[in-house]
Amino acid sequence: MALDLKLNESEEMLRKVALDFIRRDAPNQIVRELLETDTGYTEELWQKAVDMGWLGIIIPEQYGGAENPLTSAGVLFEVLGSAPLPGPYFSSGILGSSILLEAGSQDQKQAVLPQVVEGKTILSLALTEPAYSWEPAAIQTRAADKNGHFILNGIKLFTLEAGAATHFIVAARTGPEAGGQEGISLFLVDAQSEGISVRGLPGFMSGQTFEVKLDSVKVPDSALLGEPGGGWPALQRAIDRSIPVLCAYKVGACQALLEMSLEYSRIRIQFGQPIGRFQRVQDLIIEMIDHLDAARWATYECLWKLDTGRPAKESIHLAKAISSQAYWDVCTLALRVFSGISYSREHPVSFHTRESRRLYNYLGEPTFHRQKLARFIMEE
Amino acid sequence: MDFSPTEYTEEQKAFAREVGEWLDANIPADMVFPRDPVNMTPEQFKMRKELGRKVGQKGWLFPGFPVKYGGGGLDAAHTAIIRQEASKRKVSLPPYHSPGGHLGAAAIMACATEEQKLLHLPPIFRDGAATWELFTEPEAGSDEANQQTNAIQAVREDDYFIINGGKIFVGGLYPPPDRMLLLTRSDLNAPRHENLAMFMAPGDLPGITITPLDLFVPSPFGGVSGPTAGSADGVKYQVFFDDVKIHQRYLIGGDRDGWKAATATLEVEHGGGDDDETGNRRMTAALFNDTQPSFIVRRFLDQCKNNPDIAARIRENPPLLESIIDIYIDAQKERFFSLRNAGGQGGRYGGVHSQLFSKMASIRLIAAMAKVLGPYTMTSDEEWASEEGLFEVGQRGALCLAPTGTPEVLKIVLSRALAIGR
Repeated sequence: MALDLKLNESEEMLRKVALDFIRRDAPNQIVRELLETDTGYTEELWQKAVDMGWLGIIIPEQYGGAENPLTSAGVLFEVLGSAPLPGPYFSSGILGSSILLEAGSQDQKQAVLPQVVEGKTILSLALTEPAYSWEPAAIQTRAADKNGHFILNGIKLFTLEAGAATHFIVAARTGPEAGGQEGISLFLVDAQSEGISVRGLPGFMSGQTFEVKLDSVKVPDSALLGEPGGGWPALQRAIDRSIPVLCAYKVGACQALLEMSLEYSRIRIQFGQPIGRFQRVQDLIIEMIDHLDAARWATYECLWKLDTGRPAKESIHLAKAISSQAYWDVCTLALRVFSGISYSREHPVSFHTRESRRLYNYLGEPTFHRQKLARFIMEE
Repeated sequence: MDFSPTEYTEEQKAFAREVGEWLDANIPADMVFPRDPVNMTPEQFKMRKELGRKVGQKGWLFPGFPVKYGGGGLDAAHTAIIRQEASKRKVSLPPYHSPGGHLGAAAIMACATEEQKLLHLPPIFRDGAATWELFTEPEAGSDEANQQTNAIQAVREDDYFIINGGKIFVGGLYPPPDRMLLLTRSDLNAPRHENLAMFMAPGDLPGITITPLDLFVPSPFGGVSGPTAGSADGVKYQVFFDDVKIHQRYLIGGDRDGWKAATATLEVEHGGGDDDETGNRRMTAALFNDTQPSFIVRRFLDQCKNNPDIAARIRENPPLLESIIDIYIDAQKERFFSLRNAGGQGGRYGGVHSQLFSKMASIRLIAAMAKVLGPYTMTSDEEWASEEGLFEVGQRGALCLAPTGTPEVLKIVLSRALAIGR
């Protein structure tokens, strides 16, 4: 055992295939079009991802997946983040699958996960609500037990990839009306169920972020994932395992932003010289490296810990706090390097800027994770 | 990927035991380990010099260099082991301030003839000669090559150079040094960068005057913020040369090779090498996955957690907790950058980037220490100072940003490495 920060052969191969895919199938024009859609993908792109096994990258072989380590998923999503490629790849292939793996029964896993691998089932986590928080206490959606089925009522806000989802994983209270994690249950809900309405949220994060209303949605008992009232710990474990993969997406995005900023600073001439010669511009680039490299190694160390069964809770909070802030700030820095031209909706810096804002709070904003870190710093 | 620590082999474990036992037997029981190196007495300094000489005789003072030059001929792992064992005992190697060792060795190995190597290196590596670095002049600060506007001139007189001029901000303790790594201008008319000569000369030549400067800053932060502060300099001097004769055998390379030699030292100073003076020892430590934040950060966090008065203050004032989290994250970023470099993933920019980030992080750290710990961080009083004055000397050390290049200079170097600077 020794420090080795290089990708292994299979990771290099995966990276190369993913890069080829992005260059060939998801150039800037395509990404721009996808960002404006409700689903974030086209059937053709989706099928190619399925054919390459990406939707099942971490799903065990027994359910039809490739059962790769999380680090491999990190390598893949780093490349996807460089585009940045929208779509429910993460929501379904990583987060949704992980929740099924953590909370689902054997029958549920067997029924759903192969469908996820084949891209026929698309999962989206419907968790956060108008009282926006990633803490369990904020969940007020109710699931009333009606002997043989449940009736769900509530609003899920800022739900990602709801426009593409065939199924939602809904967190709802089956126990006390208020409180902590006790009484929270998870349900696998068909997106076409009566009583569900999905509405895209306009504005800066338009596309792929939604309000999902549950109005007396009737689901069978078999939709319950795990024990009634005991969903939160499983959900939290799944979120923990998924976070560093999302971080890798942001690392890839930051890397792309750095590379395009470096290139632009070498070729953009103002006052008779490349703007990279100006120290104020150099300052922006250097700050990008501060963010990018910290995010990269925080993320990959975290993935390595999870893959090797080491305690990783602190690293998860650290990676998320660093990478979310990194993506946000690197976009702002890139906007300053490129200035006016990057305001165009056709410019990749604008794609990234929108994504960085859309994903900033997702699975916990930096402030949330910093507070969790404080517990490690001050108490352990 | 594998972030797990490089584990010692059985042979390396045995070597670590051997080094540790030797150091335990040879570090004098009455050696003191001051937080601020200026508090070291002449007797203590001599004690450290003698320890250095003994370590040098073992080949452990500069263990990575060839045996024929007085080094140990050891690989990076064994070199790291020696440093780690010494560090556990609160000494770094050499156990006294001697920047001309690591930096001078880089210049000598890059530029010197074989004869010069055999002349210059064994006294430093094996015999424990303490060396100072004399580069900076009043008009050659960040612009190190700008030696022509000061008084230093090197003019041939048979086999000698006659040196006139002055150097400033020369770090050291208890002059004169045994050797001086001296950058001079050797030609008044040659183009910039082709007009310089570097010497490794005796420090007690006639005509040299050494005067201490009255500065509030001690050694740079990296030197005084760890457990081995006794190896730092602590005092800066002005050194004047008045018709000083230096024999040409003390040249490093030829009499126009000064900038090439200086560049070799700057490469180390700017993080391309592995040198105690620049704080890059953490890169070596990272090979063995020294995963903890730096010494001073750990002490700071310990205070936040374990000092009941401070803990109460933090509870009552939530913004203080934000400052602590910032410092913790900065420390983790420093660790990641060390790992990045140790893992060969830093490219051309990794070394200087780490150094720049650490300097900026140290500025943020001292501000946070002042906010959270209050005025206790500003006093070295035996009764009232926190952590035996560590934070007080750290407050001053973090402001000593010029050695190895100001942050602004490091940004220029970094921009060049990124191919956007001039």
